[in-house]
Order: sequence, then C-alpha cells, then structure tokens
Amino acid sequence: MIRGLWDRETVALLLLICLMPLALVWLWFGGPEAWTRLALALVISGAWHLVFMLARAQPPSFAGAITALAVAMLAPEELGLARLILGISFGSVMAELVFGGWGRNVINPATATLAFLGFGFPAAPWPELVLPLAWAAIPAAVLGVTLGLMPGRVIGGALLAALVSWGVGQGTWPAGLAPVLPMAFIVLVLLVCDPVTSASTLPGRWLYGLLYGGLVVLFATGWQGAAPAQIAVSAALFASLAAPMLDEAAISLWRARRRKHLG
Amino acid sequence: MPLRAINSGLSPALPTAPPASGGVTARLTEEAALIPLRSERLRLDMLCEEGALLAQGAPVARMRDHPEVALVAPMAARLARVRLGPGRQLIELLFFHEPEAGRHVFEVAAARHGDAAAIRVLMQQAGLWRLLRSRPFGRMPAVAESPAAIFVMAADTRPHAPDPVAMLEGRGESFSRGLAALGRLTGGPVFLCQPRGPALAGPGAVEGRLRILRCGNRHPQGLAGFRIHHEHPATPEAPVWELHAEDVADLGALLETGSLPGLRSVSVTGEALTETRLLRCQPGANLRGLCQGAVVPGWHQVLSGSALDGHEATWLGLRDRQVTVQDSHRGSPRSHWFSNALRRAARPLPVIPTAALEQAFGTALPAMALIRALSSGDDESFTRLGGLSLLEEDLALADYVTGATPRLSALLRAALDRIAAEEGL
Repeated sequence: MIRGLWDRETVALLLLICLMPLALVWLWFGGPEAWTRLALALVISGAWHLVFMLARAQPPSFAGAITALAVAMLAPEELGLARLILGISFGSVMAELVFGGWGRNVINPATATLAFLGFGFPAAPWPELVLPLAWAAIPAAVLGVTLGLMPGRVIGGALLAALVSWGVGQGTWPAGLAPVLPMAFIVLVLLVCDPVTSASTLPGRWLYGLLYGGLVVLFATGWQGAAPAQIAVSAALFASLAAPMLDEAAISLWRARRRKHLG
Repeated sequence: MPLRAINSGLSPALPTAPPASGGVTARLTEEAALIPLRSERLRLDMLCEEGALLAQGAPVARMRDHPEVALVAPMAARLARVRLGPGRQLIELLFFHEPEAGRHVFEVAAARHGDAAAIRVLMQQAGLWRLLRSRPFGRMPAVAESPAAIFVMAADTRPHAPDPVAMLEGRGESFSRGLAALGRLTGGPVFLCQPRGPALAGPGAVEGRLRILRCGNRHPQGLAGFRIHHEHPATPEAPVWELHAEDVADLGALLETGSLPGLRSVSVTGEALTETRLLRCQPGANLRGLCQGAVVPGWHQVLSGSALDGHEATWLGLRDRQVTVQDSHRGSPRSHWFSNALRRAARPLPVIPTAALEQAFGTALPAMALIRALSSGDDESFTRLGGLSLLEEDLALADYVTGATPRLSALLRAALDRIAAEEGL
C-alpha cells in the first residue's frame, strides 16, 4: 500500500523545522542560560514520553520537543528546578499524554504548563523577549503557513483583530497594547497555531484567530500590571478552550447554508 | 462553482513508465472472468453449463435474489469454469476467448422508443444494470428502484486515469442516445460531470433535465462522491445513481444496434512497467494479459484500479478502468523487536489536520469533523456531515495523504454497513 507524507511524525518534524528561526534567534540572544533551560525542558518532556511509551505503549513524538521549546522560551523566570520540573510534568502529562499523545489532546501542553506556572507561582517574573524574536517569528509563520501546517486563517483572524483595534483608536494602538504586540505574535506562532488544538473548520479558524486577538486587546487594555507574556498566554489558553465550540458553531452554520443551497 | 472549489484538490505525483507509442490499441485477453465485487454476496442461477459456447453479451446466469438481472458473457467465449461457493455464491466464472461465437442480439424495439420500463428491462438483461452504482451504500440498485438523480461521470481525476472525453470521441451520437434513455429512469435531474471545455451534450438531451458540472483537474474533483455531496446528497429514501460516461455510450450503442460494444478503455500504468499503455479490452479482462510484455522483472503487485484505491486482483474489476503495476516490497528489510512490539501494542497514531488533508477532501466538507465522527463510530454526526454520499474511493486520497491507520475508507465502509443494517437494507 502506498503512503503519502503527512503522517503524525512528519507533521511534528516539519513543524519543528518551521520553528527553527525562532528557536535559533532565541538561543543566540539568550546565551548559556537559554541553552540550559531548553535542555532541561527537553529532558523532562522526553522522560515523560519515555515513561508513557514503556507503561502504555504510546509511541513518543517529536511534538514533545515543540512543547519543550515553547516552555523554555515563555516560562516564568527564577522558578527554581523543582517548580519547573513540576510545571512541565503537569503540562505534558495532564494536557497531552493521558489523552493518548499528540493529536488526541484538547489543549496545547505548553499552554497548560505556562498557565499552571503562571497562576501557581504568581511571584515569579515573566520573561521579557527581545524584539528580534518577533521578527524571527515572521519567517516561522510564513514557513508554517506555506507548508500547510499552521492555519493561515488563524493568523489572519488575529491580525484582523489587531487591525480593528487600531482602527477603533483612529490610527493609534489602544493604551497598553503596543508593548504587548511582539509577545502576542510570538505566542500566536508558538502556541495558538498548533494544528491539533486550534479550530479545524475554515470559518472556525477565523473566529479562533479573532478571539485570540480580541482577548489580547482586552487583557492589554483592561488588565493592570500584567506582563506581556502573561497576557498572551492567558489569551491563548482561553481561545484554545473555546476552539471546539467555535468549530461546532461553524459546522452548524455550514449545515444551515447547505440546507438553503439544496432547498 | 466558487474559485476556491474548482482549484481545490491535489495532484499526487505517482511514478509511471513513459507512454507507449501508437495510442489506444484494442487488446482482448485470452481469458476473462466474471467475479463479484469485494464483500459482495452474489447468488446465481446458472443458465448454461460449463463448456457452452457463448456469444458476446449472451446471458450466462441470473441473480438468485433478483432474477430479472442477468450476468452476460464479456466476450465471444467458451464458459471454461464455473466456481460457485456455498449457497451458489459466485466465486468466479471463467471464459476462454472463442472469436467465432459472434455477438448476442437483444430485443431493443420497445426500449428504442423510449419506454422507461423497457429500458430498465434491457439494462437488466444486458448486464448494464450491475454497472450502475446507487448511493448511499454503493450497491447495485434494486430492480424497481427509482433514483432522485443520476450522475454521469465524464471526468476522472485519479492519477493516470484514462481520459473519459477521449473515450467519447466519435461516439457522440451513442452518448446522447444513452443519456436520453438513462434520463427516462428518473424524474429528477441528470448531472453530467465533465472537464472544462465544450459541453459533451446539449441542454435538450434529457428533456431539459440535464445539468452540466465542470470539474477541475485535481483529485478528488473528478470523483462522483464529492459532486453528489455538493449538488444532490444521497439519502436512503432518495438514492442517487452514478454511471461512467463510457457505459452510457455503450447503452446508446446497444439501443442503436441491439448488441453490446463490449470494449472498455483501460490505462495500464505504474512504476513496475516499461511502458504505460492505453487499451480497449473486454470487461473482466485478465490483468496479466493486459500488462504482458511490459513488466519490469522482479517482485510486483498488479492492482485493479488506481494506485490510490485499487486492490490486488487477477481480473479487471466491475467498474475499474485502470490497472496499476507496483513494485512490491515483500517483508521489511529492517525490523527491531522493540519497534514491532510497540507497533502491535500501541493505538494507531491520530491524523493531524493540515492543509494537505483539507485539500484531499476537496475542501467540500469539514474534514476533521468527519474523521473524528468516523474514528469514534459516531454515525449520527457522520450522516449530518453528509457522509452518506461518499464511498471508499472518495476517502482513498485522504488515506494516501495521511497514511491513516485504520484506513479511513475502511472506517467509512463500516459506518455505511452499520447504517444500512439499521435501515434494514
């Protein structure tokens, strides 16, 4: 039987390659500290994949490396080893592995980890990412959308939400939004555009992107004292929780239009 | 049709040999056979003995459950061997070519005048009824069934499929005659799916009920399933029929001359060949005979059907117009006990939504929702999403693209069988 290209592990590997510009720029600016964080995240995530392979015969996935990368980049700083291990374990196991591995999860394990760490240890400062990273996220997004791995409509929807807020402010960003934008874009590429947990229908993806963008604008203007990473990760978490509902709405809409078209 | 829909789909680049010189050649193989479709239970009452000499198109057997429907000899031949299983279920009827046996002539006077009942009886007697496919469930239609619509497929976008428009060249008269006769069998619309270009039939061909649908070049646009899904979804109460354009032209020729043309256009393609052939052969032809002299030495598989949806076979399938010869990779050269153990114990890997998957469904329906409904056995959602219009061949491209296990087409068949059992069909 002949087989095509797009099985789970090819998708995971290609996604990893798409994120390389982002990862390399981050490692370049982060220095040895970034390398250690990434190595630590990779080891913990890999260890849990190994445990689930031996205990439950769940084949390990390269998607674990994507999770590790996102967590290493975005996790709050000065947490200490134990808390970081706890957070990554919680995210990988509870958000991904117990559901049967990548492809069967309902929320992104990296988002779960970051939300857990952020809400669990609010005293730890969120990382400030340098601006070149946001520029590096652009080639990552272009690669991902061109290969058909990242849903372009989600990015379109998020940009549309930003544009609307810009238009409402008559050509200026709403107060507090401008410093959040680079981080919001990085999180969009790293977490929100995950093909598995984003909405799967075409109109659902527009709505999902719009919702993420709208939440970022809302949090940026209304949430006093929140760090950009905190705002973006929270928006990603709430958007991904709403994704199945958006899909359901899109399918109902599609069926209504179909009934009308078929008479 | 919106622009996005006509450009949707994929063109999988599957390897094949360079085309043979000389264009389309007629080639009757020495042996041919009548076989049931996969998973079809076909109980027969034989009309002649082993060794009987049969004209091409002469009735050989009748279906026990539908005595009106006959199986006919695919060529002028001697009935060499009758293999029936328990309950007189057809395994194989084998024929040897005997050119002097001639052609069977049918009584077509009533059908020629457009009497719907006579056309129905003629199609059932001439073996054309079995070529009709009724959706949902993809079976031969019941003897008295009246379809809500008929789709005539003059487009085929499967990789390396023979061009249906070329098959109709010089047969325009037969085609419009067949189309008009087919139109008598339904009160609903008749859809003609064809590639872009001049229309293959005038608007008046079926009493004003003909509608022409243009298909793009990418797979799966030339499959009936997605067209039916979009234009006229099939339900158990309102079945939709589908027939290939060449068979429609055969029906027209039968009405004209009283005998079946008995040749079918077939492409013989694949990586394990030295040349790609375009042939005209009898139905049920021997596949080894069709690719004789063009096969590269070594292990290979001969499939009836395209590389995407074909099955390993000895004889050309009932509705197949493609033969694919592939390298077969017997045994895996490297295997490790641990990866084997893991593969056996693990649940199959899930399908990840990508743009490729979306295109494999021709962007016609919410692909991931359908896949989730199929893999969780949720027949209600499956029906709501319009899955009843689809058959295995429609999901073959998605299977190829994602390498899904279990195969989506197998899951679709299981869902259709469950729904059919529930409907009591």
